[in-house]
Amino acid sequence: MSRKSLCVIGLLSLCLGQPLWGQGSLPPANRWIPPDALICLEVSEPREILKLLADKELSEKIQQMPFYQKQAASKGFQEFLGMVRIVEATLGTDWRSALARLTGSGITIAVCPQDTVLLIVDAEDAGMLNQLHDFFLNIARTEAQKQNRSESLEPVQLDGIDTWSFDGKEAHAIISNRLILASRPEGLQAVLDRRNGTVTSCLERLEAYRQARRAAGADRAAMVYINLNVLKQVPALAGALDQSKNNPLAALLFSGITESLRASQWLALKLRIREHTLLLNALADGRTVDPAGPAAFSLPEETGQGALPICPVPRFIGGFSFYRDLHRFYAAKDDLFPERTSALIFFENMMGIFFSGRDLTDEVLGEIQPEIRLVVAEQQYDPAIGTPQVCYPAFAAVLRLREPEQFAEVMEEAWQKALGLINFTRGQQALPGLIIDRPEHHQTKFTVAYFSTTGIEDPSRLPERFNLRPALAMVGEFLILSSTEQLARDLIEALDAERQRPVRPMAQVHSLVEIDGGQLASILKANYQTFVRKNMVDEGKTQEQAEAAIDVLITLVGLIDRLRLEVGSRRGLARADLEVRLNLP
Amino acid sequence: MANDAMDTPQKPAPDDSGSRPAGDWPEADWAWAPYEPDQQRPWTLERAGHLYRRAALGANWAQLQLALSAGCRLTLDKLLRPPPEALSFNHTYDQYEASAAGSDSADALRAWWLRRMIESPDPLRECLTLFWHNHFAVSNGEVKNGRAMLHYVQMLRRNALGDFRLLLGEMVQSPAVLLGLQAAANRRAQPNENLVRPLFESFALGPQVASDEDVHQAARAFTGLFVFQGRRREIPREHDEGVKDILGQTGNFGRADVVRILLEQDAASRWIVRRLYRWLISEIDDPPADLIEPLAKDFAEDYDILRLTERMLRSNLFFSDRAYRRRVKSPVEFACHIIKGLEATVPTSRLGDQLARLGQNLYHPPTVKGWAGGRHWIHSAALTGRANLAAALLGEEKAYADKLDPWHLAQKYLFADEKSAGQFLLKLFVQDDLDPSTRETLLQGQDANPADSPSERIRRLAGRIVSLPEFQLA
Repeated sequence: MSRKSLCVIGLLSLCLGQPLWGQGSLPPANRWIPPDALICLEVSEPREILKLLADKELSEKIQQMPFYQKQAASKGFQEFLGMVRIVEATLGTDWRSALARLTGSGITIAVCPQDTVLLIVDAEDAGMLNQLHDFFLNIARTEAQKQNRSESLEPVQLDGIDTWSFDGKEAHAIISNRLILASRPEGLQAVLDRRNGTVTSCLERLEAYRQARRAAGADRAAMVYINLNVLKQVPALAGALDQSKNNPLAALLFSGITESLRASQWLALKLRIREHTLLLNALADGRTVDPAGPAAFSLPEETGQGALPICPVPRFIGGFSFYRDLHRFYAAKDDLFPERTSALIFFENMMGIFFSGRDLTDEVLGEIQPEIRLVVAEQQYDPAIGTPQVCYPAFAAVLRLREPEQFAEVMEEAWQKALGLINFTRGQQALPGLIIDRPEHHQTKFTVAYFSTTGIEDPSRLPERFNLRPALAMVGEFLILSSTEQLARDLIEALDAERQRPVRPMAQVHSLVEIDGGQLASILKANYQTFVRKNMVDEGKTQEQAEAAIDVLITLVGLIDRLRLEVGSRRGLARADLEVRLNLP
Repeated sequence: MANDAMDTPQKPAPDDSGSRPAGDWPEADWAWAPYEPDQQRPWTLERAGHLYRRAALGANWAQLQLALSAGCRLTLDKLLRPPPEALSFNHTYDQYEASAAGSDSADALRAWWLRRMIESPDPLRECLTLFWHNHFAVSNGEVKNGRAMLHYVQMLRRNALGDFRLLLGEMVQSPAVLLGLQAAANRRAQPNENLVRPLFESFALGPQVASDEDVHQAARAFTGLFVFQGRRREIPREHDEGVKDILGQTGNFGRADVVRILLEQDAASRWIVRRLYRWLISEIDDPPADLIEPLAKDFAEDYDILRLTERMLRSNLFFSDRAYRRRVKSPVEFACHIIKGLEATVPTSRLGDQLARLGQNLYHPPTVKGWAGGRHWIHSAALTGRANLAAALLGEEKAYADKLDPWHLAQKYLFADEKSAGQFLLKLFVQDDLDPSTRETLLQGQDANPADSPSERIRRLAGRIVSLPEFQLA
């Protein structure tokens, strides 16, 4: 397919639209979609999304960004901008208004079997839609003439409708104010068959789809229906859902999610927009885990139980909070991940050394409450010591103990044994070891281990080991295991504050993730050269290309102010709620 | 320009030293005299390709065409005396590598070196750095210190075309070499022969020149040398101040004296010349002593590696059938020749892993004698591996798919249709020096699968060309 043809189809694809539910002349687009669609995206309020993403102030902000200016200088981008200007001149309006009028009544995209993708666009302005189509048709004809291609690009009548194909592969038609574009001619025929009534089965009448729509509710800007019955047969997805059987970490992290998806027929994603915040709710029809089954370790036993709120710390990048009963999890290991049980013997033996022969399941994991929190934060380095060449984020786990008075010393002993083992191993390799100290912060005495700073040659390029200053602290019933002293101190303060004002668990939420986009962008910037160089050898890019890729990543991450994902259950059904607050002007 | 070149009539093959029948060794005077193209032995695409294979890790089409028009002497001048931008290029890459040397692993360094080999405006230096890495073979499997390995390879690169005396002197006190040979502790009470034995038998003199007693005495001269935390340390109290007898010389020698004594042996220059001969000229047969002697004598005067290299590369022998396709490409050379020929930069992290699986893991030579090379590179499994690597590079693997595009490259040089694009690839990769029936079969096979796009067919053809036995030879 020629570059210009691709451009034509690309721009046509931008001009999406949805059926005129309320306008009477055309039925809803989902009535024209075959029922075997794997995925169907319906954008019912395109203007809401356009208002957010094509906002003029946002565009201006993006245009001021260095990565945009670099890209804007490229030939391909200039060609694209030139095409946009021509389209604007042809339609007599700016691209934002044109896009709104061309897509304002809705967009439907369906992915069907045999690599067929259907796009149904309902324009508010049918005249503009036809004008735009004529414009691209003329370009395609000129291109075909230039390349001495024989096709005339004249319309072909199908069921009394004019249909076109710009490249011999895609097929499209315009019916009233509706554009129908299919990646294959068979896809367009399937739509026309439903339009003229020769085929009556359609997505709209599919029971699973109707349930998904009802679950999603009416208050939405867009919705995605996913046919899990079919998708679960895709080997990659089936493999991913079964991964927990041989991967204990996957079994631990994704418990409750994989079980629910395995039992579900459909998954519905509902998008809403509130000011600068995107709200995405995911719902599936599969029941959550069996309370008596091996995966019940992630199921809060009582109504008010669930994951705890994430500890707030300075320079917070991200945090995870889980409700996972580790004792129950490990006791059920033979059922949860039978293929890996034998490999855990070594792990248990090592734990036996650290915990002085205690039983890992009952006497170690049994001492830990199900509320587990992880925190990741950007580091601040002591200018008197220097900055590592690669700046890793600090990370810490906060565990809640059942019997802190008895178990705190057991943990301290195991911790110091681990440090000793590390030191011994590093000593064998002629590498510097860790020195243990016992400082105090907020009336809490804690243990920290650090590398000696004597003999540093270049403080601006410290070895990577200076990212680590492992620490262990007990604050009330909470145990902190941190990669750095600074984060341990910050968590001591946060947990102290929590003791003053106890936090309530989030009922029936078993997993919570929060990410701060600005701070994540900040650590990406701090490691900019490292990422660029890694990208060069890992992707085979030039330095300029690698810089552009990292600039885009930093810009995109920076556009997210805060991301929050809650996973749990509601009325016995699995649910996930994603909230993305955008960092927009 | 490209089409003119393609119209050039078929030149005689380089195995045309005329009066010198195969099997007989040429006279040294003729062999080392500079090659002057004439009607009998003209400067051809085959000879330009041969030069670039040996001295530049391959060439692209523009370089081959430029070499043809500039002539042999100017092309060699360019390779031997790189442009000024080579300095800034190497400086930039030194910085890239320094940032990759922070860990125990050398995988990132390996990726950067491969990229440097592909991109460097001073490719001869990279060829010779690889030669010295194979000669002073030290593996990070033993060293386990990325920074020490980086300094070691930088030392090889810095001296690759310099003074061998300096190179050897720096080599024997490189922390990576000492760690790699398990010679990081040289105590007076127990002299360590782990460095000295390979120094005598592999690095400087060759086997069976020195006696065990010479080695033992020399080890005493190295006492007091240690490596702590990746850094070299001298501890005078641990140095043996006694008198040593080494290769007929007696005195209170230190390690600098050992290096001097070694280089005073006639065997030293002969050994290095023979090693370089195998690298640059031929690994098929062992040249007679009288052929090596003039170069060895000249080299022994000041141990100037550049002059020795230049003499070999400019020689009649280098451009004769004694050298043409008389070496098997190592996996690194094989990959570089494809990638440089197709003017691409690829993900070298991945490439480094794949080359390691083919037997050449940079920074990890298998023994102190380096990679065995020669026929060891092309056993049946290795040939399958090479074909798989070529297929991956040419589009079957996603990581490389958009990087190497022979069809696009052919179009760039105005070989617009498939037939001429196929001929272009034959000239680019094997300088069209093929048996006619092989050529015919290859170009006929081009028409298979007419449903595929020209780009896909040309990719497959390129894959078949680089899997030819002829392409496996340097």
